Amino acid sequence: MPSLRKTLVAFAAIVMAAVWAFPVYWMVSSSLLSNVTLSRSTPTWFPAGGTLSNYRAVLADGRFGDALWVSLRVTLLTVFVVLIFAFLAALAISRFKFRGRKSFVLALLFIQMLPAEGLFIAQYKMMATTQLLNSVIGVSVLYIAAIIPFTVWMLRGFVAGIPAELEEAAQIDGCSPTGAFFRVTFPLLAPGLVASGVYAFLQAWNEFTIALVIMQDPVSRTLPLWLRAFIEGSRAREIDWGAVMASSTLVAVPVIVFFMVVQGRMTSGLVAGAVKG
Amino acid sequence: MRRKIAAALLAAATVITMAGCSDDTPNPSGTDTAKGQDITFWLIGGDTPQSARDYLIEEYNKRTGGTLTIVEQTWGDIITKLTTNMPDANNTPDVTEIGNTQSPSFTNVGAFLDISDMYQELGGTKLLQSFVDVGMVDGKNYTLPYYFGSRYMFYRKDVWEAAGYTEMPTTLDAFNAAVIDITTKNPLGIADFSGMFLGGQDWRDGVSWVFANGGELAKYENGQWAMTLSDPNTIKGLQQLQDIQLRASMAPTTARDQSPWLYINDSDSMTNDDGTTSATALSAATIMAPGWAHWSIGDLEGDARVWNPDKFGTYVLPGNDGKPAPVFAGGSNVGISAASKNVEGAKELMRIIFSAEYQQILGQNGLGPANSDYVNSLGNDEFAKALIESASNSKLTPAAVGWAGVEATGKLEEFFARVAEGGDVVALAAEYDATLTPLLNQA
Amino acid sequence: MTAAAPVEVETAARELNPRRFKVAPYLLIAPAIVMLVVALGYPLGWQLYTSLHHYGLAQQFGRPAEFVGIENFATLFGSSETWTVVIRSLIFCLVNAGLTLIIGLGAALLMKAVHTVVRLIIQGAMLLAWATPVTAAVTIWIWLFDWHHGVVNWVLAHFWPSMAHYNWLGSQFGFYAVATLIVVWMSVPFVALSIYAGLTQVPDEVMEAAQIDGATAWQRLTRITLPLIRPVLMIVALLQVIWDLRVFTQTRMLQDYQDPLNVDLLGTYIYRVGIGRSDFSMASAFSIFVLLLTVALSWFYVRQLIKEDN
Repeated sequence: MPSLRKTLVAFAAIVMAAVWAFPVYWMVSSSLLSNVTLSRSTPTWFPAGGTLSNYRAVLADGRFGDALWVSLRVTLLTVFVVLIFAFLAALAISRFKFRGRKSFVLALLFIQMLPAEGLFIAQYKMMATTQLLNSVIGVSVLYIAAIIPFTVWMLRGFVAGIPAELEEAAQIDGCSPTGAFFRVTFPLLAPGLVASGVYAFLQAWNEFTIALVIMQDPVSRTLPLWLRAFIEGSRAREIDWGAVMASSTLVAVPVIVFFMVVQGRMTSGLVAGAVKG
Repeated sequence: MRRKIAAALLAAATVITMAGCSDDTPNPSGTDTAKGQDITFWLIGGDTPQSARDYLIEEYNKRTGGTLTIVEQTWGDIITKLTTNMPDANNTPDVTEIGNTQSPSFTNVGAFLDISDMYQELGGTKLLQSFVDVGMVDGKNYTLPYYFGSRYMFYRKDVWEAAGYTEMPTTLDAFNAAVIDITTKNPLGIADFSGMFLGGQDWRDGVSWVFANGGELAKYENGQWAMTLSDPNTIKGLQQLQDIQLRASMAPTTARDQSPWLYINDSDSMTNDDGTTSATALSAATIMAPGWAHWSIGDLEGDARVWNPDKFGTYVLPGNDGKPAPVFAGGSNVGISAASKNVEGAKELMRIIFSAEYQQILGQNGLGPANSDYVNSLGNDEFAKALIESASNSKLTPAAVGWAGVEATGKLEEFFARVAEGGDVVALAAEYDATLTPLLNQA
Repeated sequence: MTAAAPVEVETAARELNPRRFKVAPYLLIAPAIVMLVVALGYPLGWQLYTSLHHYGLAQQFGRPAEFVGIENFATLFGSSETWTVVIRSLIFCLVNAGLTLIIGLGAALLMKAVHTVVRLIIQGAMLLAWATPVTAAVTIWIWLFDWHHGVVNWVLAHFWPSMAHYNWLGSQFGFYAVATLIVVWMSVPFVALSIYAGLTQVPDEVMEAAQIDGATAWQRLTRITLPLIRPVLMIVALLQVIWDLRVFTQTRMLQDYQDPLNVDLLGTYIYRVGIGRSDFSMASAFSIFVLLLTVALSWFYVRQLIKEDN
């Protein structure tokens, strides 16, 4: 009975999708309701008659805009630098055999295993001495270092997947080595770069323990700090769940939009990465 | 022995105030050296209202021509920030608020400037003594009280009356018996009903029973701090507390002092969209909370709570001696960072904070002014009265170097929760005395 | 879904190119190395230094730090609390990584089995979960599990009335259950999408041939599919173990909200010792220990990976 089986499988898939999407739905739905409605003993499943008043309240002091701007700059700078540096390193370890290669690969792996919770005093001191507190560059430097190791790992699979012969063939056909790289290798790498870029984006966008120590000025707060301050402020009295959910939605929306944009390329990027592992 | 407290000043002071206040304001001296200094002041949380912040900024500018920047920190991250920034002369706040239980650790390691020379000028013995104590090391003043809060009871008049109580008990013993009796009677037939809602981990409220029986959490003797959970008076208080936890409170043993007011509001008894009425959420006859909780208690009108004096009442936990029971005071301290480069400006800000005008602004906003002369600015409504009365006998946690470390372990919550679960009080007290005493003396 | 993926299975196509100088690889890794040294050099040095000294709040405020050798490590290993936290974290990590892998594999197989439209729906849902920032995600789950007004208890109460006001974050068990749900919910999308990507590379002809030969679905999965996607499984498993062992934000945010006590995992424990007790030397010693522990744990994988790499 293949058709029955197919239906069951499809049903299971839909249930799974629903379970995964529900929390996000609930966040958006709650963000449209008043706190009074939310504290009823019966949940409100559909935000019919919901309003944007939570959003208006959350956005009133203009801090969200500041934080969004800081987060965007930090994230874009981080992603940009990470991709270039990680790509170069990935090229080295997948195209060359050299002394220290294995140590470098292991070091990259081990750095990821280091607990970051004990480092904040030293990170603060470093940034304070170099006058980089509250600066996008300062926090980005720390992010870049934290994200590079995994991105190199990810990218080396892609680079290894592109035969060097392709580039050489292009050179024989009259391309310069750079030309050959940009015409031949780079397009093949694009999905890999997108996949790594997504990873870097998420890390930089979500991080808040380093940011807490480095981005102290209220105007240099990143979005997670803004959200955290908002939740803490709300918790001091009685949690205003509607407003908290509205601010959570605001922090999530840019990432979701970004994902929608890169989604197709990302999946194919994962495919290519998956083969090499 | 600086732990001796004479906070009883407060109640008395409220009576005398009008006579002697207002004209002994510290001179708006505007020290020349403070001219043009731009300084930073860290506040924690949103308790200080905007009007008070605006006043500080304006007044500071008027006196010095400099700019005062106020940065609001959160309670959750303040220790991290103080730890990283205070030693760093370039990024330290010049003046900062600090939780009074955190103050001993930071004053002992030299984070704050010695301001003993300003003590008299800023109010001297009129400043709330228990708060002054936690800001002192070796007889020198480092931090001073910023504002005080207190804890008192909010209760449901209708529920107490339905259980046959028209007058509130006047002794601790009577109160303890009453809340258990109300729970047993459960006059309104509410599910999961608590005569007194008290979270198991909520040691900040629970410790009132210890204090009320003459017990202490720790004592300073022979140059050392030691936990005193096994002290007979402490044990007596803990046993009363356990009795209430087991027989009068349905609060989870993990609950802390967060939002207990949810349980004395009728919060859900309202008409739904489809015209039906939802079940009531009322589930406690009595709660203990900081004074400002009254903004969250009352009948629902639109989206706001409106206090209904026919239904809700305030009540100060009595001791057995006729005085209010000593409760754990809320509030915070304020001091100048030892690394500040703008000491004169910072001192000027301290003068403004302790000036008559600012103290009264705090009072008008429901924050207990540090200087007893201005306590009357709290007003004379029932909340102000309950705040002043309960604070008159209030206490703070031990001024031990390692107190912040003790709190950070979470062991106090654990201890109180295990008591609340019905554990053997004597054995538990001995166990936690042994665990926590070494931490008390450790910087 | 554009750009056909470069499918090139021979791994060893990486022989030395004689025309390039030996210095080239070093130039290529230089920017990454400089970045790592700049950002991590001082903090790591500081961590090593403090782990060998007595360094508390007083030292942070300028008192000279006294050299104590390995005393901090001795205290660390002698404390039963250390081992409790380590064991707890290991269990948490293995349970979470295991659940994430199983559910992720299941989701990937579902995606492979269903019609494109259904697959896009499930992919969309996964992407939503993946894209939700962790601060927002934890907040949502706290709200879902709120003991008073949370929707989870409301639903459960229809089946078990006693669950109406069940305080999830009130017990160790409930706390870890909620933490696990959050971690798994957030991690499954990456695993599922990666494994799915791997699955699309398994040639259909192989599967069809196996089916004709009479292999059951289970046999096809365990004998053909899994071995073929082994590299992907290995890498996501390794990453999952590393990430779940150092999980911090989720549990810290839960504990900030409500703390049933004695639920510290490695990250939150280091944080408590460092920030809470201002005992920076012990926090550093513990961090170094955790690093070594993770290396030891993943040693099997690391060796495998290196072997395959050669």
